[in-house]
Amino acid sequence: MSLKSSSLKYVVFQGSKNFRLRIVMATLAGKPIKIEKIRSEDFNPGLKDYEVSFLRLIEAVTNGSLIEISYTGTTIIYKPGIITGGTYTHNCPNSKAVGYFVEPMLYLAPFSKKKFSILFKGITSSHVDPGLDALKWGLLPILEKFGVRECALHTLKRGSPPLGGGEVHLVVDSLIAQPVTMHAIDKPMINTIRGVAYSTRVSPSMVNRMIEASRKVLKNVGCEVNITADVWRGENSGKSPGWGITLVAENKSGWRYFSECVSGPGDVPEDIGMKAAYHLLEEISCSSVVGRNQLALAIVYMVIGKEDLGRLRISKKEIDAKFITLLRDIKNLFGTQVFLQDCDDDEDDMLLTIKGIGFTNTNKKIA
Amino acid sequence: LNGAVNYKKKWDIGKLIYMDNISPEDCIKRWRGEEEEEEEVIDRDNQDDFFIKKQQPNNLDDKNTISPNRKAHSDDLENFVPYFDTMENLISKWSKSASFKDLQKRFIIAPKIATNEEE
Repeated sequence: MSLKSSSLKYVVFQGSKNFRLRIVMATLAGKPIKIEKIRSEDFNPGLKDYEVSFLRLIEAVTNGSLIEISYTGTTIIYKPGIITGGTYTHNCPNSKAVGYFVEPMLYLAPFSKKKFSILFKGITSSHVDPGLDALKWGLLPILEKFGVRECALHTLKRGSPPLGGGEVHLVVDSLIAQPVTMHAIDKPMINTIRGVAYSTRVSPSMVNRMIEASRKVLKNVGCEVNITADVWRGENSGKSPGWGITLVAENKSGWRYFSECVSGPGDVPEDIGMKAAYHLLEEISCSSVVGRNQLALAIVYMVIGKEDLGRLRISKKEIDAKFITLLRDIKNLFGTQVFLQDCDDDEDDMLLTIKGIGFTNTNKKIA
Repeated sequence: LNGAVNYKKKWDIGKLIYMDNISPEDCIKRWRGEEEEEEEVIDRDNQDDFFIKKQQPNNLDDKNTISPNRKAHSDDLENFVPYFDTMENLISKWSKSASFKDLQKRFIIAPKIATNEEE
């Protein structure tokens, strides 16, 4: 009768690693999961406040989800419901930037019942989470490649750490049944480098100094460099001073590589600009079709694609511990494995082949 | 023939990935054929020029690189920003013309510059 007697089989994970993606993939796969030993050895055991906040967000955009957190917070059970989306305002805790919450939404939004329109409030930039421009210029183009065209992230207010006060609006209008099968087997050529340098509550000269420094590094490459200054003033610039830069290398076929740097206490704008530029060069050299920071999104979309072989060219440098953890989690949840093959024309690259699991948006099913 | 040949097993990454008994970090090590000792040597090297370069005036945000060694970084998979080498190493890497030329193959550059680079 009850849910408990039906003895649901959980997919069991351990540790706090890859937390958001495990929840997101469980939702897509429709499989209940149990995560044990979340920071059980830690001085502060259990879930952090931002992880609980993330679970609340998941609860809000789905219907019928069941989340049980153990008394100590070191074990959670998550039974996914259906993705419903809708309009919602999420107040992000100041311990994590909004990017931490927006990024996993990109995996779910196109497969929802209603359109996604979520307002996120909080800090808009951080050293470890995706910034607004990185999401907008780096991750949304990946979605576009998989058939999610009407997807936008509006910046209403920027808010630098530590106090935040920013506001972003994620709107995903295209609801698709399943993602397009990917065949990206050629290394795309880059034709321009664009960028955005922003500042909140500081002198606009900071922005120009960052741009100058980045241009100095990138001018050796010899391609067009175009960096926009984005200075935020007054009400809309949040509660704390801050600045940062996002650089995007783009090409005609719609692939993007990006790097971003945010200021910390005591930083000089020239250093941040230079750092972003060098990181961009490094990122390009480490990537093939997608950058390291876009890989997870691309792979998950390929996994939930049609029952057909999708191909993606990756660089050997992209194969790291994170990549392996992701693929193991995918195998545990979706039961599909990737196949890696050496590329004939370049020994630095490999061809990743995945058979999609034939996922369909439950809300789009024709009865 | 005289046993001096180092028979190192060449690992197939496709299989290594799904060997659950091996930790992801070890998979990478085995696949790249790196020994534990080698790693340490590299680390020491890094530290050496880390200190030398520190005396230079344009010593960049060494406090900003989240973790000097890769291990600490890969521990936290929730980090969105990928691992980058220290600024000093990146600057020296990209000021070499060889690595730069390699990278320029990825760009469509204006013909004026392309002739200079013999491309």
